[in-house]
Amino acid sequence: MSVAEAQAAELSLERPSGLWRDAFDRFRRNPAALVGVGLLLVLIIAAVFAAQLAPHEPNQQVGPLSTNPAGPGGGFTLGLDEQGRDVLSRLLFGARLSLLVGVVSVAIGLSIGLVFGAVAGYIGGWVDTAIMRVMDLLLSVPSLLMAIGLVTLLGRGMVQIMFAVGVTTVPIFARLLRGSILGQREADYVLAARSVGVPGRRLLLGHIIPNSIAPVIVQATLTMATAIIEVAALSFLGLGPGDPSLPEWGKMMADNANRLESAAHLVLLPGFAIVISTMGLNLIGDGLREAIDPKLRS
Amino acid sequence: MALLSVEDLEVRFFTRRATIHAVNGISFDLDAGETLGVVGESGCGKSVSSLAMLGILPKTGRITRGEVRFGDRDLVKLKDADLREIRGRDIGMVFQDPMTSLNPVLKVGDQVTEVLRKHLDMDKDGARREAVAVLDRVGIPHASERVYDYPHQFSGGMRQRVMIAMAIACRPKILIADEPTTALDVTIQAQILDLLKGLVKEEGMGLILITHDLGVVAGICERTHVMYAGRFVETAPTNELFDRPRHPYTLGLLRSVPRLDASQKEKLIPIPGAPPDLSILREGCSFAPRCPYATDESRERTPMLEGIDGPMHRVACWNPVPDAEVATVASSSLEASGS
Amino acid sequence: MLKYIVRRLILTVPILLGLSILVFLFVRALPGGPAIALLGERATQESVEQIEEELGLDRPLPVQYLSYLRNILSGDLGSSVSTRRPIVDELKQRFPATFELAAMAMLFAVAAGIPLGYVAAKRYQGVLDNVSLVASLIGISFPVFFLALLMKYVFAVKLGWLPTVGRIDVTRSLEHPTGFYLLDAIIAGDGEAFVDVLEHLIMPAIALGTIPLAIVARITRAAVLDVLGEDYVRTAKAKGLDPSVVDRRHVLRNAMLPVVTVIGLQTGLLLTGAVLTETVFSFPGLGSWILNAIRFRDYAVIQGGILFFAGMFIVVNLLVDISYAFLNPRIRYR
Repeated sequence: MSVAEAQAAELSLERPSGLWRDAFDRFRRNPAALVGVGLLLVLIIAAVFAAQLAPHEPNQQVGPLSTNPAGPGGGFTLGLDEQGRDVLSRLLFGARLSLLVGVVSVAIGLSIGLVFGAVAGYIGGWVDTAIMRVMDLLLSVPSLLMAIGLVTLLGRGMVQIMFAVGVTTVPIFARLLRGSILGQREADYVLAARSVGVPGRRLLLGHIIPNSIAPVIVQATLTMATAIIEVAALSFLGLGPGDPSLPEWGKMMADNANRLESAAHLVLLPGFAIVISTMGLNLIGDGLREAIDPKLRS
Repeated sequence: MALLSVEDLEVRFFTRRATIHAVNGISFDLDAGETLGVVGESGCGKSVSSLAMLGILPKTGRITRGEVRFGDRDLVKLKDADLREIRGRDIGMVFQDPMTSLNPVLKVGDQVTEVLRKHLDMDKDGARREAVAVLDRVGIPHASERVYDYPHQFSGGMRQRVMIAMAIACRPKILIADEPTTALDVTIQAQILDLLKGLVKEEGMGLILITHDLGVVAGICERTHVMYAGRFVETAPTNELFDRPRHPYTLGLLRSVPRLDASQKEKLIPIPGAPPDLSILREGCSFAPRCPYATDESRERTPMLEGIDGPMHRVACWNPVPDAEVATVASSSLEASGS
Repeated sequence: MLKYIVRRLILTVPILLGLSILVFLFVRALPGGPAIALLGERATQESVEQIEEELGLDRPLPVQYLSYLRNILSGDLGSSVSTRRPIVDELKQRFPATFELAAMAMLFAVAAGIPLGYVAAKRYQGVLDNVSLVASLIGISFPVFFLALLMKYVFAVKLGWLPTVGRIDVTRSLEHPTGFYLLDAIIAGDGEAFVDVLEHLIMPAIALGTIPLAIVARITRAAVLDVLGEDYVRTAKAKGLDPSVVDRRHVLRNAMLPVVTVIGLQTGLLLTGAVLTETVFSFPGLGSWILNAIRFRDYAVIQGGILFFAGMFIVVNLLVDISYAFLNPRIRYR
């Protein structure tokens, strides 16, 4: 902002009314963010009420086996797949998997990352150096490659996959929190708290971490989108959940990738399901970022 | 004829939320070799006026009325291409913060030469030699080597010298300095002001010095305009302004500045309240809500600048500070300096 | 500058070492180990031991690692377990394919992303700005394999404009002295072959390049917006410089700093994106090679391939850091 703009803004400043309230107000007034909330709600409702909404069991054969299954419209809203299963039902149950995978793997990555980041940033010295070098090393392996490696190593259960994807996000969160702590360790309010004798641990838990939490939330939202994509990518490569009956979106696409001519809906519909989820999360993440720090409009 | 003549300049910012009345009709003349001070709190419109004169307002800002006469041309009406010929060549500008006002990825020499090459049609070598000469002139040691350095390799004071070098490189007729010393250490401030003073004297430039710091105007400006809420509220020869401030706001400013020569008993008297919200344009004097002398008339009719104590001293006030009170201020400062 | 590059080079040595340890341990930790992978689940204890001795797997881990390291340094990455071909030969054949794909993708991303972001910032909150925001949102929300499939569906299946498989028409004969087919076609002076290769490349490259495009556009927009508000841009205007000079010398030069960093990061990610894109388009590059190796437990290929992949990632980052230093004097002179 230029001096003149700053002055213009200064002139029209409204009364301050609390950081979080302001952020919430800005978020509420951001149409893109609201669209994101809408998309995420679709995903959540589909996941939570899959059993109620789905016309059929996800693995129940309700039509004929066919290399040229029926498309959307007709008797089944979104058509059938090659094994005569109802696509809509599979997509709805797939939402469950994707949401679960997104939340759990980010939770794993976040908690490990935050511990490493907090320890590195707060203790500093050689501990910091050691942790951050390991994080650099992890970052030097592209995340999907690392996830592929971990899955090869650990096996292809849902838990292992979520762990593998979670681990790839550890360095992001560790770096974020460490950076934030380093930035705030010298901040005036922390120096002030320290000068009146607030003990170190309380300083970290009561002052520094709460003030670092906003960017972490934003990052978590955006990372959840990548986690969902990454798991779908693993499935697409044939390294997804070992159980072949699971209606995982990426797997649904992989199973039918060579049927683009005869049954494109089997590839495109799960694809759009993934896009709805990731777009929702990305819009919310961006909206949160803008709401929390209006300077960072991008 | 005056070198630069601003007539009833009005600037507004049109933002989505509101219209900001940043400058509301200011007029002044600047003569060659004259140094003019514009004093006011931040947000009073003093920087905005200078940006407006040069046609480099931010996107939301527009000149809505008035003229800026330079020679036989009105800068407000000029096309941007013509205005660019004047910016940097005839009118140079120095900004407040030398830390952020220089491009961090360009060598200092290149930042000086680019203005020379644009306006004076110099070739590369000529511009380089001239840049070294200008940097030398503004007191940068080893200028011929330092042209190859980047801004971050200079101290704050040295960077401000670079800024000044860029502004005077084409020997402009007018130099506008917007808070040129605010971001600097006190000792450096004095050096920079001395430099500006010297340049005005040698080059016969007209200097407009914009500042919030009364101490700065005192040392260097012949005339001073006091600006409040987008208007000039008082204008006078600087000495007279300090000795006999007639606008309550000017008086308030003077009283709220700590003085080295003040006696222990003398207290600083802050001006109560805050500057008005410029998104609302009200009738009446904009200082009225904070003014101890305000009357109903002040609140209803906007005062114009009018001569008081002779034509050189003008004030926009329905109830100028009475002589008696002015005298106490003046005498107390006399007393203090005498003791 | 030279000092900076040397220091930066030295810094990558421990990372490369760490990486080689990681990959080494990874392969050793695979369930069943290399011998089982080689012989199959039903191998007898005897044959397993024999193979392990042959491969030196019975020696202590540190000894194994050192000999492994010595081999890498002498340029020997071993041979594929399934095809018996030397890994290095296979790399020589596969790398140009992936490189061509990645380079085209990045070219597309940068050539379109920077102007898009720049225009969006200059027309802040205008129509073009909103268009670019939506485009970049789509770019970051689409999984690369879905985008690839979608493009394949539209341009190959529905419109029939472009070929869907491989790097070149199988019936075409073209000498491959370099392995870079575009280059090979130029060397052979075969215009038709060049177009053919390009047609095979264009869809995978655009699919692969769309995400980086979106991100480059976003960062460029944000960076330009940031820089436009900087004091030194106002200074440049006050000097009376022409708008094109202000933009080029003052705005873009500064705005490119974050963009370069992002381009580097994206180039790294492109390598993984290539695994997926190559799968969709049956493109015979590094990605599909490693993937097959993982499916068939070809540990030698996994080991060599991942190391090479990660090594490229590190080299790219190194190049980015160096070009960043070129652009940013504050780093150079530290």
